[in-house]
Amino acid sequence: MYRNYLRTALGHVFKNRLFTAINVFGLAIGLMSCILIMLFVREELSYDTFVPGGEQVVRLHSAYYQPGRPPFETVRSAGRMKDAIVTYASAEVEAGVRLFFNGTTIIRDADAFTETMTFADVSFFDVLALPFVHGSAETSFRNNNDFVITEEIALKYFGRTDVVGETLISCCLGPESTALKITGVIKDIPEASHLNIDMLIVMDPAIFAPFPNILDTWTSMNVYTYFKLREGATAEQLQERVITWLDTESIFVGDERIPGKPSEFSKPRIMEFEDIHLSAREHAGSIGDMGPMGDQRLVTTFIAVAILILVIASINFMNLSTAKAANRAREVALRKVMGATRTQVALQFLSEAVAIAFTALVFAIVSVELVLPIYNAAIGKQLELNLLSDLPLLATLMGGAVLTGLISGSYPALYLSRFLPARILGSNKSSDGAGQVSFRSALVVFQFAISIGLVICTAVVYGQTVYARTMDLGYNTQGKLALTNLGTVQTPEKLEAIRSALSKISSVSSVTLSSEVPSQDNQNNTGFRLLGGEDAEANADNTNLNIYTTGFGFFEAYGIKPIAGRTFDKTFGADQIIPIPEGEDRIGSASVVLNESAVSMLGIGSPDQAIGKVVRGNAFSGAGTFDFTIVGVVPDVYFRSVKFGVRASVYWVLPSRYRVATISFETNDVAGVISDVERVWKEHMPLTPIAHQFVSDMVAAQYDQENRQAELFAAFSALAVLVACLGLFGLASFSAEQRTKEIGIRKVLGATIRDIVQLLVWQFSRPVLVANIIAWPVAWYFMSDWLEGFRYSLGDSYILMVAVAAGTIALLIAWITVAGRAYSVAQTNPISALRYE
Amino acid sequence: MLKLHNLSKFYRTDEVETVALDNVNIEIESGEFVAIMGPSGCGKSTLLNIVGMLDSPSDGDYIFMGENVAGYPESKLSNIRKQNIGFIFQSFNLIDELTVEENIELALLYHNIPAAVRRERVAKVMDKVGIAHRAKHMPSQLSGGQQQRVAVARAVVGDQAMILADEPTGNLDSAHGQEVMEMLQSLNAEGTTIVMVTHSPAHADYARRTINLFDGHVVTENLRAAV
Repeated sequence: MYRNYLRTALGHVFKNRLFTAINVFGLAIGLMSCILIMLFVREELSYDTFVPGGEQVVRLHSAYYQPGRPPFETVRSAGRMKDAIVTYASAEVEAGVRLFFNGTTIIRDADAFTETMTFADVSFFDVLALPFVHGSAETSFRNNNDFVITEEIALKYFGRTDVVGETLISCCLGPESTALKITGVIKDIPEASHLNIDMLIVMDPAIFAPFPNILDTWTSMNVYTYFKLREGATAEQLQERVITWLDTESIFVGDERIPGKPSEFSKPRIMEFEDIHLSAREHAGSIGDMGPMGDQRLVTTFIAVAILILVIASINFMNLSTAKAANRAREVALRKVMGATRTQVALQFLSEAVAIAFTALVFAIVSVELVLPIYNAAIGKQLELNLLSDLPLLATLMGGAVLTGLISGSYPALYLSRFLPARILGSNKSSDGAGQVSFRSALVVFQFAISIGLVICTAVVYGQTVYARTMDLGYNTQGKLALTNLGTVQTPEKLEAIRSALSKISSVSSVTLSSEVPSQDNQNNTGFRLLGGEDAEANADNTNLNIYTTGFGFFEAYGIKPIAGRTFDKTFGADQIIPIPEGEDRIGSASVVLNESAVSMLGIGSPDQAIGKVVRGNAFSGAGTFDFTIVGVVPDVYFRSVKFGVRASVYWVLPSRYRVATISFETNDVAGVISDVERVWKEHMPLTPIAHQFVSDMVAAQYDQENRQAELFAAFSALAVLVACLGLFGLASFSAEQRTKEIGIRKVLGATIRDIVQLLVWQFSRPVLVANIIAWPVAWYFMSDWLEGFRYSLGDSYILMVAVAAGTIALLIAWITVAGRAYSVAQTNPISALRYE
Repeated sequence: MLKLHNLSKFYRTDEVETVALDNVNIEIESGEFVAIMGPSGCGKSTLLNIVGMLDSPSDGDYIFMGENVAGYPESKLSNIRKQNIGFIFQSFNLIDELTVEENIELALLYHNIPAAVRRERVAKVMDKVGIAHRAKHMPSQLSGGQQQRVAVARAVVGDQAMILADEPTGNLDSAHGQEVMEMLQSLNAEGTTIVMVTHSPAHADYARRTINLFDGHVVTENLRAAV
C-alpha cells in the first residue's frame, strides 16, 4: 500500500517539478531560519544553568527614585547590604556573597597581562557552588587572599591545571606588587553565563579600607551581591523581607530628606540567578552588568520572526497543494470508490506533506551549516550544529519537520479528502469552487501582510540605527586615540610625566586628560545648590547633576565651543579643584562649565545669565565642599549613545579623577602614532600592558548591537519576502496554466499580450494591496513602541514613509514575479491552447 | 440483491429544485444482468451513483442485501461498497502515475489483504482479462480497449458480487466495445450481478432486462427471453 502511495506521490513530484521545488525550497528556508534562531534562543535560555543549586541563588539589584532627579538603577548594590540582609532575613537566606571586580596586571616572567580580579567574600562557594578541579570549597577559600583560578588561567600561565601552591605576581592590588599563592583551581565558567570570573580572591578588608565606598557603604553601589536561599524560600519572600527591613531597620528610616516610606524611594529588587542574563537589563540602568547582557525582547522577536517565516512557507505549501488539487481529484475519487475512507486519504496526503517537510529539513540543515559562520559573526556567538552528538536537538528538528508537515498538509489533506467521488468521476467539473480561490487569496494576503510588516520593521530599525550613528554628536571624534588605563598609573607626578612625554611626539597636537572619553559611561552624580541672587530661594534644594572630570584643553581637543563664557584655562589659575586638606574646615573655590541642560535644570534663564553665578557642592574623592563659579556653558553634546539622551552635566577639573588620555594627532601615519605612544607607555609603565582605542571606534561600538540586530532583521525579512514571492510565483503560474483556455479565447477575440498580462497581474495585485492595509497599522503599532525606547528617534512620519515604500516594493516584486509568468503564457499560440481542450 | 422503494433524488440550488429521480421502484435479483437506458439527463447516472453508494437518496428506501442503507453515513457506505461493489467508468479512470498492475491492486489496498495474496489475485485477474503481458505498462501506453480491460479487472479483483458499469463502451470503437461486453457477460455467467448504463441498444441486448428511464421515472421494463 505504501509503495502505491509512494509511486503516486513521486509521480506528482516529478510532474509538478516547479511546485515541488517551490514547496521544498520555501520550507527549507523557513526551517533554516527556525534552526538558526532556535540555536540562538536555546543558548540564550541555557544561561547560568550550570551552577549546582543555582535555582536557589538570587541577586540583589538596587534602584533609587528621588523626586526631581533621574531614576538611578543598577544591578549592583551597596557594600553593607549583604550582612544586613543575611542577618535580618536569616529564615530565608542561607548565605550571601559580594563580588567586586578590579582590573589588575599579572606578571609572569618578563610578560605582563591585564586580567580582571574578582574579590569575593569567603562565603563565595556557599552561594555559588562552582566545581573544583583541584582543591575544595572547604580548604581553598577560607582566608584573606586565598586565590582560586580557572583551568583556563592555569593553562595560560603554567600550561597545566594542577597548580595549587604556585604563585602569580599581581601588580598593584595595594601600593605594592603582591605574590598570590594559588589555593585552588575551578572549572571554567561556560560561555553561557553572565558571571565573568576567572581569578577569584578572598577580599581583604585591609586593602579596601582606604576605599570605604566599596564595602563599607549604604549608598554607593559598587558590589554585586548574591544570596543562596534556604530550601523552600522563594525570591518573592526575600523581596518582601528586604522591603520590610528597608522600612523598619535601614538607615533610611527617619531620614528627613526622604519624603514618605524608604521603600518608595529605594527599590531593592531580588532577581533569580537563571533569569539574570535575559532580564537584568530591566534593572541595569545605563551601567550594565559585569558582561554583555541578553535581551528578552530580542529573543521574543526572533522567535516570532522564525515562526512567521515558517508560516509563510507553510502557506505556500497549502496554497499550491490546494491549487493543484484538481489534478489529483480523480485519484482521490477513485481511491474512495475502491473503499478508502476519508481518514485514509487524508493520512496519505499528510504523509506526503511530512515527507516534503523532511526533504526540506535536509536542505535546511545543509544551509545552516553553510551560513552558520556568517550568522555567528553577526550575533557575536559561537553556535554549533552537532546533530549526531546532540540528540535532543535532532529530535526537536525531526519533531519540528513533522509538525511543519502536519500543519502545511492539514488543509490540503482535509480539502482533498473531502472530494465526493460521484461529483468528480461522473462529471467533468473542476473541484475548484469560488470558495477555494478566495481562501487562497486570503492566505496570500496574510503572507504578504507578514512580509510587508517585516520589511517595514526592518526599515525602521535600520533607519533608526543609521540616524543614531550619523547624528551630529556635537563634537569631533576623528584623529583621536584614547589611552584608557591611566587608572593604573599610581601618582599624579607620573601621570604628568606620561602626559608631557606623549605631547612631545611630533605628530601629536594635544594630550588632554579626563575621567571618561565619549562613549565611556559613568553614573557620577552629585547635588549642587545655586547660591545668592533672586534664584537662590527657588534653589534651596540640591539639584542632582551628572559630573564629567576634564583636564585643561579637553573641550578644545573635541572641538566643543562654549555658547557663553569660556572653557577651562590654566592661566586663570583658579579653575582647578585643589583638595582641602583633611582637618581644615573651610569651603574651597573652583570653576565649573555647565551644559545647556544643566543651566535649565538649575532654573537659570539663559546660558549668558549663568556666567558668574555660583553653585555649591561636594567635590569627589573627598576633596571637600566647594563654591563653584560658572565660567562657561557648552552645548548639549552626546557623550553616550543617543539612545540615552543628554544628561544635565557639570564639567570640572579634578586631577585625582583622571583615568583616560585623549591623544589628538594630525598625520596619516596612524601606525607611527600608535608605535610612538606605545614606546612612551613602555618607558613609563613597563609592567602594565597598554590599552588604547580610537575614539571614533569607541563611539561607533555603542551602536554595534543595534547594527547587528538591524542587519539580522534585514536578512530574515528578505528571506520572508523571498518565500512569499515564490508562493505568489507558483500561484500565478498555476493560475495562468488553468486559464490557458480562457486566455486562448481572449486572444482569438483580439486581446493583446499586454491585455492578458494586465489581467493576470491585476488578479495578483489585489491581495498585495489588501495586505498593505493589514500590515501598516500592525507595523506602526510595534515600531512606534520600539522607537519610544530612544530619546531621539525618527518620528511616526518616517514609519509612514517606510510603509508606503515597503508596500510599493512588495507590489513591484509581485508584479515582476507574476508578469514574467503571465507574459510567457500570453505569448503562446491560442490555437494550441484550444485544440487540446 | 437490492431493492429501491419510492426512491427520489432532488438537487437544490438557491432558487431551483431539480428532480433527478422521482419515486423510483426497482428490484434487482442476485445474478441478474440489468441494462439501464434513457436519454441524456433522465437520471441514469444519478441512479447508478445511488446504487453504488457514491450518492445518497433524498427520499425513499434503498435495501441492499436486506439492509436499508438509505440513511447510512459515508463511512458505513464506504465499507459496504468496498466489500460488494465494483465500478467501471466510461472514461476508465485509471491513475496515470501507476502501472496496470498497481491500478488493479488499488481495489485491494483498502481491504487489509496481505501483499502476497494481493499480487496473486491481481495476476489471476490480469490473466482473465488478457492484460497480463501489459502488467508493467502505464495507462498512457495502452489502447482504450486495453485500458477498459484494466478497469474491468480492477472492478472484479476484489470478488465483488455486483459490478456497476457506467457506459463502459462509450469511449470505445465497436470491436473493443464488443470485447468488453463479452467480458461482462462471462462475469455474469459466473454469478456476478451487473448493472450497466448504456446508450447502445446493441449492448443493452447483452442484458437480461432493460430498464428505461425518462425524466426520473421508470417508464418501461423489458425482459429479454433467455439466450
